[in-house]
Order: sequence, then C-alpha cells, then structure tokens
Amino acid sequence: MASDLQIVVSEVEGRIPVTVFHLKGDIGAHNYEQFENQARAAIEEGDTRQLLLDLSEVTYMSSAGLRALHEIFMMLRADQSTGESNESIAKGMMAGTFKSPNLKLLNPSPDVFRVLQIQGFDMFLEIHTDQQEAIASFLHAPNE
Amino acid sequence: MSKNIFSLKVAAELDQLTKIYEFVEKTAATLDLDSSDAYDLQLAVDEAVTNIILHGYQGRRGEIEIEIKREKNGLVARLSDNAPPFDPTSVPPPDLDKPLEEQPLGGRGIHLMRQVMDEAVHQVSASGGNELILIKRSLGKKTG
Repeated sequence: MASDLQIVVSEVEGRIPVTVFHLKGDIGAHNYEQFENQARAAIEEGDTRQLLLDLSEVTYMSSAGLRALHEIFMMLRADQSTGESNESIAKGMMAGTFKSPNLKLLNPSPDVFRVLQIQGFDMFLEIHTDQQEAIASFLHAPNE
Repeated sequence: MSKNIFSLKVAAELDQLTKIYEFVEKTAATLDLDSSDAYDLQLAVDEAVTNIILHGYQGRRGEIEIEIKREKNGLVARLSDNAPPFDPTSVPPPDLDKPLEEQPLGGRGIHLMRQVMDEAVHQVSASGGNELILIKRSLGKKTG
C-alpha cells in the first residue's frame, strides 16, 4: 500500500554523536523536499554533524530521493571541513575510494539499493546492515 | 477496450503521485508481477509522470492518462498527455563519472526510467500531445 513519508529522529552517542533519521514510507517528487528540509534544519539550525539514514522502512524511492541524498551530502560537506580538498574527494569518488565520513545509510531494501547502485550512490555512501556497527563507524569529529 | 488494460486518468499535479503509486501497486498485484518488476513499473511510471508534470506542463493545468497491460512479450505502460511535444528518450544520460559537486541535483529520473525498462518509445499523439510507451520484456529477472 502506498504511504507517505514519516521521519523519526533520534540522537545516538557512539564514538561521536550521531543523528539517526528513521524514514518510513515512500520517497517521491511529491515529498522529497520534506526530507531535505528536515535534514537542513537538523544540520543548519541543530547540532547534526553526523547523519545516519535508516532506510529499513522505506518501501519505495525514486530519483527524487536520490536528489535529496545528493543535497544532504552537499549540506554536510559545506558545513564541515574534513581536511580533504575537493579535488582529492572528487578523485576518490571516481576511483571508489572515497566514502562520506558523515552521511551513511542503513538497511535499504534490495530494490532501493538497486536504485542507489544504478546512479552510483553506493560508490560514495557507506551502506550498513547493522545499526550499532553503523553508529560505531562514525569516527571523525570534524574540526576537532 | 480489453478488460486486461488497467487505466487511470489524473490531473498533472505532484500530489497525485500517491494515487498513481496505489494504482500501479494494485495493477502489479493483479498482473501477478514479482516485487522487483512491480518496483520497476512503479519507478518508470513515476519518473515519466514527474517529468511530464515538471517539464511538459510546467505548472499549467492538464491531465495524464496511464494505461498498463501485460502482453505475451512483456509488460507495456502507455502514458498520454496534452503538454507540448517533448521526447524524453532524446535526453542524454547524466555523466556519472563527474564528481558529485559538478553533477546537477536533478535530471536522473529519465535515466532511471530507461534503466529499469527494456524499451521507451515516444511519439506525438493525434491531438498534438505526447504518447510514451514503456516496455519491459525481461519479467521475473533482476535488472540494473
């Protein structure tokens, strides 16, 4: 059954603080901005510096969801200096050696994973299957 | 009109997407598609409809008609609209080798639509609008 998007936010203390967005429902052109805006508020007005997106209850995602992931990746990049130059990150992305240190995904369905893969998002976003492991994988507190 | 054709006519507005998702899900279930084929059908129809709304009608009022049928050689979705003629199959695929910072935020939908279907054919309709036919032959097999 098609459903709209719900986002429940939690803060988890791993090695460093991690914000988790638990998303539930469908992500399409009609609601991706809700997702983007909530992430923007958390990053620009809140304390979110590390974001884990729990996709385990996302039943469907179109290119609009990829657009939101792209935008959120850029927000976190703009908000933080990881010490790496844009050039070295771009090279790493193309070589498949760069993974975003502050935006990661948890448990996409096989179909959602396929959408990520077709557009190459699995090349720069870590995809985890265990929440504790995902939280523990956030290692660097930027600017510290 | 064959009873094996499933059709829906909706206003060309993004808030109709949920209704379209429900229609495609129900049709996919009636046609006994596996979950992967059902996802691909929803994704292709969604991306095509979103493209018609955003780039065809561009905010003007209009309608989109969707017809889905299963034929011997596969699954066929036909989308008709009265927006100015525009051939989405002529849109070049995005350059996924470019660094993310240099890629546009949008423009991935048509590429995804073509990746999950086997054929996309556009023609100008008798009324001067558009008819887009999407065909998926490889049912029951993973794509992408």
